[in-house]
Amino acid sequence: MTTTSAPGPGPGSSAVAAVPPPFDPELAAALTVMAEYVPPAYTADLIPALRQGYLAAAPPDEALSRNGAFEVSERLVPGPDGAPDVSLTSCLPAGATAPTAAIYHIHGGGMIMGNNRLGTPELLEWAQELGAAVISVEYRLAPETPHPGPVEDCYAGLAWVAGHAEELGIDQDRIVVAGGSAGGGLAAAVALLARDRGGPALHAQMLMCPMLDDRNDTPSARQMAGLGIWDRTSNETGWTALLGAARGGPGVSPYAAPARATDLSGLPPAFIDVGSAETFRDEAVTYASRIWQAGGIAELHVWPGGFHGFAGLVPQAAVSRDAIAAQRSWLRRILAA
Amino acid sequence: MPGQAAWLASALLEEDDGRVKDLEVRLAALDPDASAAVRVIAYFDKLTESGAGLEAIVRGAAVLTGYPARLADEERRLSVRVEPDGAHRRLASAPDPSWLRADVGLAGGATLWLESAGPAGPVDAMVLERAAAAARVVLARTPGRVPASGRGDKAAAEVLIDGGSDPGDRRHAARVLGVSRALALRAVALATPGGIEPAILAEPAAGAYPAPGAYQASGDNRRSGIGTAADLDGLPTSWAAARTALRFTAAGTSDDPGPRSVRYDELGGLVLLAGSGGPGTPVIPDEAALDRAAAAAPWILVTLYAVATSVSLRAAAAGLRVHHSTLQERVEQAERLLGWPVRDPQGRHRLYLALVLRRLRRNP
Repeated sequence: MTTTSAPGPGPGSSAVAAVPPPFDPELAAALTVMAEYVPPAYTADLIPALRQGYLAAAPPDEALSRNGAFEVSERLVPGPDGAPDVSLTSCLPAGATAPTAAIYHIHGGGMIMGNNRLGTPELLEWAQELGAAVISVEYRLAPETPHPGPVEDCYAGLAWVAGHAEELGIDQDRIVVAGGSAGGGLAAAVALLARDRGGPALHAQMLMCPMLDDRNDTPSARQMAGLGIWDRTSNETGWTALLGAARGGPGVSPYAAPARATDLSGLPPAFIDVGSAETFRDEAVTYASRIWQAGGIAELHVWPGGFHGFAGLVPQAAVSRDAIAAQRSWLRRILAA
Repeated sequence: MPGQAAWLASALLEEDDGRVKDLEVRLAALDPDASAAVRVIAYFDKLTESGAGLEAIVRGAAVLTGYPARLADEERRLSVRVEPDGAHRRLASAPDPSWLRADVGLAGGATLWLESAGPAGPVDAMVLERAAAAARVVLARTPGRVPASGRGDKAAAEVLIDGGSDPGDRRHAARVLGVSRALALRAVALATPGGIEPAILAEPAAGAYPAPGAYQASGDNRRSGIGTAADLDGLPTSWAAARTALRFTAAGTSDDPGPRSVRYDELGGLVLLAGSGGPGTPVIPDEAALDRAAAAAPWILVTLYAVATSVSLRAAAAGLRVHHSTLQERVEQAERLLGWPVRDPQGRHRLYLALVLRRLRRNP
């Protein structure tokens, strides 16, 4: 493990913001309709309102059970040392006769909002096809809980799941950690922690438009400022909530910002996707490239004209349908292996 | 934040009547003061401004109303159908006259349909109107480009390939075939039991939307010769080229191996042979040798055709699905029957010419 600074995102990071790539036409149209509800720039003063908004909604157990296909339960498991217990929502395939694969889900929300049921229904749809369990962790949010609280909550939940695989009816050798946005960043961080602490041997990591780099200074971050979803200002809000004044400076832990890791070898196979028209484009591409350079396995999809979270926000668009099909296809391949 | 709004959508999608609700309505539910109409207008205006194609427009109509939506245009041979989940799924059935619809407002009768008998709610009506307007913009800038293949097309195609046709008749025929706006056309000669039938293909235009019917002469697998590119008045010349190309086609069977569709543009110097070889011309010795060899075993012609057209013997064996050593033996036997080697470039070329001459003799 290391806390020294990794190389930056490459040439051009200090260049003047260039012309941004256009949004996909269908996504652009949806964005005009959504913009008022999902503005590009979130500032810290908006955090309470954001948490009260539609992001506070959570699908009930009945929705998660998918007509009885999953047994849904909440359980409290030991948190990090000296910290409160962590709540897990577990959705286990009903009537499974052999240990199943499991998706350990970490929700998104920029480190500052959301709950562990957001994004879970989509994963359950895939999990049902694949006969896998989904377990989603309720980690504490920044700024009330700064780093390392959120990632340690996620790791504690994962460690408990791996340690209780038999009780849960899951195969501890086939646990995939998955998340989108901040959840993708936390999933990458949990994979680093598991490697460095000799923790659970993860089967794979699924990083959907992941939030990886607190420096917030890539060409894509600059290019997309004020545009789309989760722009540079929002990103600064999220990272500052997590890291305070340390954000962007030297000494930020790779377990907070996985882009800071100097060693990306020895990680489980990664799925990484991102839109070409979003803040996270360059850090996601760089992360995949660095995994390959370290001799690892990664599958990278960059969807043209995609803004942050496009596949979830506008799932009917042609490019979203292809992006979702790619996610599903990767999961099927990785769990069939 | 992927997944958050998706979950929001999935929760709100399941309204009382099971209909998928539109994005605007979902958002309006969060903000009762919001005007769905304003959002519908903004959505389709942005699609138009971004240069979206017809499928995106039809998808917008389906997603926003929760009904499968279709755009049908008889003249352009166009049919786009999208379901509320965004999937592009074609159905053979015709639109039901009782469905909600809007005229796109162009000659030719393009119509946007919602697969619902109504009555139209305010959102449905607004979506139909705005989507039709957006489709009009796209259609007005896009030439027709779909292969003509239906009944009644034959007569129109005959007019177009006839150099003596009246220009007015020619324009009318082009409209009937839905190719009046095409940038480039090609005549196609189709082999039928009774002779040769014409068809017209429209070339795909740059930046055009996907349309039904790929660039193929026909979906019915008749042998086809595809002519040179032409404008409306150049189709008689294209037709002559198409007929020439058709003579180079084969049944694709063991006694007549070869391509079922040939493009004149790809024949190169072989077109000169078409003028000198045929049913009435003297048989050259290589053709006679080929016929003798063909009579000796049923696999001879397909084997020789594979040898003449594959990059290597190994590739030929793979294409024929025989073992490499089997092919070696067969080729040796065929060479003895023919009387010349076919594994060197010169012999292979001689073989290819003999095969082509044999086809020209069979296809008057």
